[in-house]
Amino acid sequence: MPNPPAAAEALLLVLLPVDVRESVSGDLLEEYRESRIPALGELRANIWYCRQVGGIWLRAYWWLVVPVVLLLLVHDVFNTFRAPSGASYLDGLPKLALAAMSPLGVLGLLGLASAYGSWRTQRWEGGLAAALGVSVVAWLFMAVWWNATLYPFAQVQQSNPYWVHAWHWSTHRAAPPFVLGFNPDTPEETFLRWVFWDNVGALFFLGIAMLVGSCVCGGIGSTLGVITSRWRPIARQKP
Amino acid sequence: MAEILGSFEQAVLLAIVRLADRAYGRAILKEVAARLERDVAAGAVQATLERLERKGLARSRLGSGTPIRDGRARRFYTVLPDGVRALNDARKTHDSVWRGFARPLKARG
Repeated sequence: MPNPPAAAEALLLVLLPVDVRESVSGDLLEEYRESRIPALGELRANIWYCRQVGGIWLRAYWWLVVPVVLLLLVHDVFNTFRAPSGASYLDGLPKLALAAMSPLGVLGLLGLASAYGSWRTQRWEGGLAAALGVSVVAWLFMAVWWNATLYPFAQVQQSNPYWVHAWHWSTHRAAPPFVLGFNPDTPEETFLRWVFWDNVGALFFLGIAMLVGSCVCGGIGSTLGVITSRWRPIARQKP
Repeated sequence: MAEILGSFEQAVLLAIVRLADRAYGRAILKEVAARLERDVAAGAVQATLERLERKGLARSRLGSGTPIRDGRARRFYTVLPDGVRALNDARKTHDSVWRGFARPLKARG
């Protein structure tokens, strides 16, 4: 009998709460083998299966993706739109609010996601899958966001002396022109091009930071979630 | 006053009523998709079933597996009296809202 993609099935088993793990994975497997494979063929049936797993993940954890994305957006907007001196418009906020909006806030939310994930599934891996998933979805959203806002934001940034200084500083000092191919003295080396590569670099480092953050905070949160899941009420009969 | 049901919750509860002793996850999914005439995500049905159980409108029990499911157990659902009450209330509200209109409505202008 045909089988769905092993990775998607393994992820599904990690995502589901213990009391419905067997029944829901069995329902999906039955639908995949009996209806989808004959109707769609193997490739499209596999895509269908992966979409179902993705949907189950998103229904369980979307509410944790939203605050992570919002924090990253606020951070990006206030990082882009600064006073000409370079000072952030958020500087007047209380320290606690600033800490919550810093990367610490994102790490805290990743820890929360993993604690909830492991509490819900009663498995340590369930927490890690929750934190990693939140990171991946938030990272993909930021990739789209940075791509969509690149041009309009750059229009505003290039009229700010802080960013113009940062452009020259970055291209002349931080990375020698021959390394990244920058040479701001030539006409084709535009501010827009620099902002584009700045975003690419930021996306790369954001990905690394969120991956590491998910593993570290996810590990801690998952452990806490597994410990507290002993008190999770299970109304249903266990398999 | 019984629990107020959303339209998807009504579709799932009615699928359980219709399927009677054959109401397990995949059968409910197919029944709901057929009645709504669109593809329905398994996660949506699963989340609704969990919610209905939490609200005390339905309950489930485990049954046996079959070879096509690699022996994994089926979970069979039953509508509880509160669920039946909620469905009747939903129908009453629906009928009351539509009373006096000829269906289908005709667009003006």
